[in-house]
Amino acid sequence: MTKLLKTMTLAAAFMGSTAAIAQDVPRIGAAVYGLNAEFMQLWAAALEQHPAVVEGKVNVTIFDGRYDALVQQEQFETMITQGFDAIIFVPIDIEAGATAVQAAHDAGIPVVGSNTRVNSDLLLSYVGSDDVQSGYMEARYVLDQIGCEGGVVIIEGPIGQSAQIERLEGNMQALAECPDVTVLEQQTANWSRAEAQTLMENWLTRHGDNIKGVIGQNDEMALGAIEAIRGAGLDVNDFAIAGIDGVTDALMAVKNGDMASILQDGAAQAQGALDVAIAAVLDGYEPMSPIWEQYADMPWNGGTDAEYNVPWTPVTAENVDALLEMRQ
Amino acid sequence: MTGKTHRQDFKAYAADYGQRYGILIALVLVCVALSVANEFFLTQRNIINVLRQASINGILAIGMTFVILTRGIDLSVGSVVALAGVVSASFATTSATAGIAGAPYGFYIAISIGILVGMAAGWINGILVAYFNVPAFVTTLGMLSAARGLTLLYTGGRPVPSLTPEYRNVGTGDVFGIPMPIILFAVVFIAAFLVLSSTRFGRHVYAAGGNPHAARVSGINVKRVRMMVYVISGALAGLAGMILAARTGSALPQAGIAYELDAIAAVVIGGTSLSGGVGQVTGTLIGALLISVVNNGLDLMGVESYYQQVIKGMLIVAAVMLDQARHKHA
Repeated sequence: MTKLLKTMTLAAAFMGSTAAIAQDVPRIGAAVYGLNAEFMQLWAAALEQHPAVVEGKVNVTIFDGRYDALVQQEQFETMITQGFDAIIFVPIDIEAGATAVQAAHDAGIPVVGSNTRVNSDLLLSYVGSDDVQSGYMEARYVLDQIGCEGGVVIIEGPIGQSAQIERLEGNMQALAECPDVTVLEQQTANWSRAEAQTLMENWLTRHGDNIKGVIGQNDEMALGAIEAIRGAGLDVNDFAIAGIDGVTDALMAVKNGDMASILQDGAAQAQGALDVAIAAVLDGYEPMSPIWEQYADMPWNGGTDAEYNVPWTPVTAENVDALLEMRQ
Repeated sequence: MTGKTHRQDFKAYAADYGQRYGILIALVLVCVALSVANEFFLTQRNIINVLRQASINGILAIGMTFVILTRGIDLSVGSVVALAGVVSASFATTSATAGIAGAPYGFYIAISIGILVGMAAGWINGILVAYFNVPAFVTTLGMLSAARGLTLLYTGGRPVPSLTPEYRNVGTGDVFGIPMPIILFAVVFIAAFLVLSSTRFGRHVYAAGGNPHAARVSGINVKRVRMMVYVISGALAGLAGMILAARTGSALPQAGIAYELDAIAAVVIGGTSLSGGVGQVTGTLIGALLISVVNNGLDLMGVESYYQQVIKGMLIVAAVMLDQARHKHA
């Protein structure tokens, strides 16, 4: 009995001490939609390498939403129960995330959006990149390459995700500028390289030489199209191909002259969102991430802007080596 | 053959006939319809595409056939595809960061590693199912999760790129114009057909699935047979994972998600009974081809991919209804 009491006292003391530590340093939770793919891995790594985290000014916990809106909502409930000071939110679904934001707002916890959008006006701020713009940029590249005429195919992300909706909007803006271009096919490959490869194989059978350009709404799918073209014994250089994100394989393909890609700076989105979240918790906080110096087009403005737009960087033959170097 | 076909019951015979040839007739009808509807369907290039697109699912489905014949199920093949893919690719990459020390190793080493990873996962499944009596559904559901987790741990969530040309050859090479995945699919099919139709082990698989008690009494080591089918399924998942990595150019940690469902669909459409003991790999071959033909045909006609899922769903249910009809009459 005494032994049990002792253990309980010890446990209570231990719990007390951890609570004390937590009170000293603000705790910030990051709820991301899923950590299976390279892009979110880079995002999460950048969050943990933020100077404020490295120096111990804040405590950051990353929650893997496992691509499930309900899992993300439960993680919000956990963070609210544990009294986190702020939450960074990368939602899987533009609509389903709104309930979670509402719950945190009701508990008085500020939520900063990052990377993907949520349909809620209760976000303190959003630090991401404008997907409409990237959709326009990649389509514009393809159309310029084919001289604004001929047939193109569009390989879409999962229908209904904010990136798919907005990148398609951008694709269509560019296509509207080239009335002589025909969209031969438009289907989803769910961001997947293998699915895009199968689609492209079948499209090449159906349309053959009529396909001049491939607009992939992400790099993985553009890479799948490249493999399909090679597999059909055709020359990749006869096609204008573009993707978005700047994943490592795409950087290598750009270096090889096979495609164009537009780098989405997930690292800057993560670190920017964390700076905004810390500013909401600590009075007089000055941003510590180097990204604010890197992107002069995105002024800090005291961390109070409703939206921070991290610029896209087209990957070119000139900058690709430097970008690959950063991935090592 | 299971002996049931020798019954002098016309209805049963008709149902059996319908089941065994119904799926082949369905495949032929779909092919005829598609070649009328679309001028490209019967071109040599498209036929090669269909076979190539069927090969990965087909190889998985052949392994799945062995498992289902023993009344089991292997839900882990999709995750094992990814795990075997990334591990073997890490032996065959020229990338300094993604490879293991000393990579790239020779082609045969990398390939052997992939098969061994698949066999190891299958062996764990088999031991748990056969010797610890954990239900196959639960065991392989656990492996589905664990193998995916190991894949992500092993890679940190990043692809393994820059595979050696010899390794990529498994997915992109050809022999006399026939793509390598199709050749491997054919080899696996013929081997599985011979094992099931004319070896002692094959007969034991049917016996262990058809009537485990009788099999045990007649001296068959049912536990060992049940373990071996998971090892076979795992090894083939390993092979499929390497073909996939070689085809897509990098081993992707998120590869193979939900592949187990298409593999099970091919087996079920092909007439193998989920209650064990009845079925052939020829049925599975036709089932895998039918799935690919339908997907390919709808792509060629520009039909939205969502319809493909609906049609696949209807095919599965129709196939099981045939199976039920047969059991009722037999």
